[in-house]
Amino acid sequence: MPSMLAGLNPGWVLIIAGIASLFITMRQARQVVTIAAPLLALALLVTAPQNADLVTTQVLGLKMVLYRVDALNFIFSLAFLIAAVLNGIYALHSDDRIQDGAALFYAGAAVAATLAGDLMTLFVFWELTAISSVFLILRAQTKAAYYAAMRYLGVQVLSGVLLLNGLAYVLKSRGDLSLEAFTDLSDPGVLFIFIAFGIKAAFPLLHNWLQDAYPKATVVGSVVLSVYTTKLAVYALARMFPGQEHLVWIGATMTVFPVFFAVIENDLRRVLSYSINNQVGFMVCGVGIGTPLAINGVAAHAFADIFFKGLLMMSMGAVLYRTGTVKASQLGGLHRSMPWTTLFCIIGAMAISAFPLFSAFVTKSMIISEVATAGYAVIFLMLMFASAGVLEHSGIKIPYYAFFGHDSGLRVKEAPFNMLLAMGIAAFLCIFLGLPALFPGFGHEWLYGLLPYREEAMGYSHHHLFSFDHIITQFQLLIFAIFAFVLLKRFHVYPPEKRGVILDSDWSYRKVGYSLVTWAGTVWGKAGPAMTAAFFRLTSRAYNWIEAAFSPRGELARGGVLNGAMTIWTAALLGIVLLLSFMAVG
Amino acid sequence: MSDPTENGRDGSGRFVKRAAESVHNLHTPSEDGIHPLSQILFGWTHRKGIGNIIFWTLLVLALAVISVDFFHARHEYLNFANYAGFYGVWGFVCFAFAVIMGWPLGHMLRRDENYYGDAGGPPEGVDPEAPMADDLPAPHHTSEGDA
Repeated sequence: MPSMLAGLNPGWVLIIAGIASLFITMRQARQVVTIAAPLLALALLVTAPQNADLVTTQVLGLKMVLYRVDALNFIFSLAFLIAAVLNGIYALHSDDRIQDGAALFYAGAAVAATLAGDLMTLFVFWELTAISSVFLILRAQTKAAYYAAMRYLGVQVLSGVLLLNGLAYVLKSRGDLSLEAFTDLSDPGVLFIFIAFGIKAAFPLLHNWLQDAYPKATVVGSVVLSVYTTKLAVYALARMFPGQEHLVWIGATMTVFPVFFAVIENDLRRVLSYSINNQVGFMVCGVGIGTPLAINGVAAHAFADIFFKGLLMMSMGAVLYRTGTVKASQLGGLHRSMPWTTLFCIIGAMAISAFPLFSAFVTKSMIISEVATAGYAVIFLMLMFASAGVLEHSGIKIPYYAFFGHDSGLRVKEAPFNMLLAMGIAAFLCIFLGLPALFPGFGHEWLYGLLPYREEAMGYSHHHLFSFDHIITQFQLLIFAIFAFVLLKRFHVYPPEKRGVILDSDWSYRKVGYSLVTWAGTVWGKAGPAMTAAFFRLTSRAYNWIEAAFSPRGELARGGVLNGAMTIWTAALLGIVLLLSFMAVG
Repeated sequence: MSDPTENGRDGSGRFVKRAAESVHNLHTPSEDGIHPLSQILFGWTHRKGIGNIIFWTLLVLALAVISVDFFHARHEYLNFANYAGFYGVWGFVCFAFAVIMGWPLGHMLRRDENYYGDAGGPPEGVDPEAPMADDLPAPHHTSEGDA
């Protein structure tokens, strides 16, 4: 490859293509760009030399490494770029310049942030992901999407501001902004960075921007959004905070709590947003464990998640596109008219549920295995709970309520061919990544060969992955959980899907916070004029009093109050003050 | 001279036409909107008594996979995971607990769709022929069960 191209950051290719897409009015030409640009970027990434600073610059005395590829960021970037190709295919039916441009720009910013060689470069592209992605929500052009987009932007920018604040501290204390991992969370700068990453990773109580915004985006927008922001945060955590024990507990909590919300949620794209939380929790937990195999598990699970979650989002997008809704209470029986979409959705559901021979089986198990090896019994039980939970909400609920269950009577067309093609490729990856290595480099071994610690991955593959114990225990968990579903349905214990919104932590600012601000505004509206009048009365009186005392016609000028005795006392008082001042100075 | 229609082929491309018709039929929904492929892939789900078949099949499968634990010892890092049936029981209990918790949580956390004052139709860009969400009939099922 020519040396000029070797220094071309794949992320920038997408960013430039995204900007160009905004101005390309001819639909076919733009469609070529949306697919060709990620393919070109993929070629650049695959051929880029690793472990070398490929592009550097100096800004205000600060060395910035704009492009550096190594084993950890390679696998994340690769997944981002393949997803960009699939997203481009998935969007072919639509004719929306802003959406196409924003999707490419957003993907490019995420790739460039992943390939950054220092924290300042990471920050710049971190912010660009926030700014570009908001258009994918705004393009839905609904009232709910507009308000959600504003809240989303606020939270994302807050993450960026915290990150910048943390960088300033770290630059002062450490003297550089290299990607050397942090160990001490008590340093305020490090803590700021940790929280900034935590917002984007959707840590518990910092998570609700995700469930608020993603389900309100466009059909294509939700698919694109599900790929990048949270996985970029996972990469950043894996890079800067491996082995940070707090993350073990944070991650385990993230896997558990979304399960309860997803069970009662009616909007199936929102169910998948909780599912993102749940799966990112496994990755965060793995970062907290921090061993080579756990970091392998994080990278592999992020890679697999991008495709099975993307596939599930695509299938729900297809349902939304054809029916106009993704509310479980209004759907059902769509397998009759959308069989291909149903089939692909089931493949995605089996992949996320970690059925043997599907992708999550070969990725998530590395994290859970390391949790058990490290002796975290409670965490292990939490992750097992979450594994049963993900089967409930993503493995069963999504396909069952959309495509089976009671027949809604909706008879629609099958998804457009471009959507089916994108779903088909994602479904292929969900299966391929989970297959045993029939020959070297086939199936899961292809993925394992890309992991940061390849020897550990291959060791795990040879000794544990497809062992009888691993397969049988996984089947035990899944079959009993499915049996629980069938049993609960049979005895009508399964809660019905009902219309409505489910309150989450965003209630604190969307309802309580908003009510407080509204109340303060009302109070100010009424009290303001009274306070202003009182202020004017007070200042007017003070002015009159001062004028009466000090003006040329005032009391002092006429010597009214300054009679002889008053003059003597004033002079004596000043003398005492002077004396005390001298004593104090002396 | 051989039969010109042997194996469905003839010189006028009748085979190709028939194949094209088959492919076309496979992708053309019937008048009632049913996709032919759905009969091939999921027709079995419409069989009478399929609910019972699934229930009993799963029960047998569950008993089969758990019975393995009684004659095959595992060597897990965490001791409690070595107990026979641990994964099955834990999977069942966790799934059932998460689902049953849906009842009180639903009562506690569910509000009207327009609770935040921003309820509305689908996003821009859905199929113009799609039956809009707000035009759909009221929820047609409030309790679930196999068809």
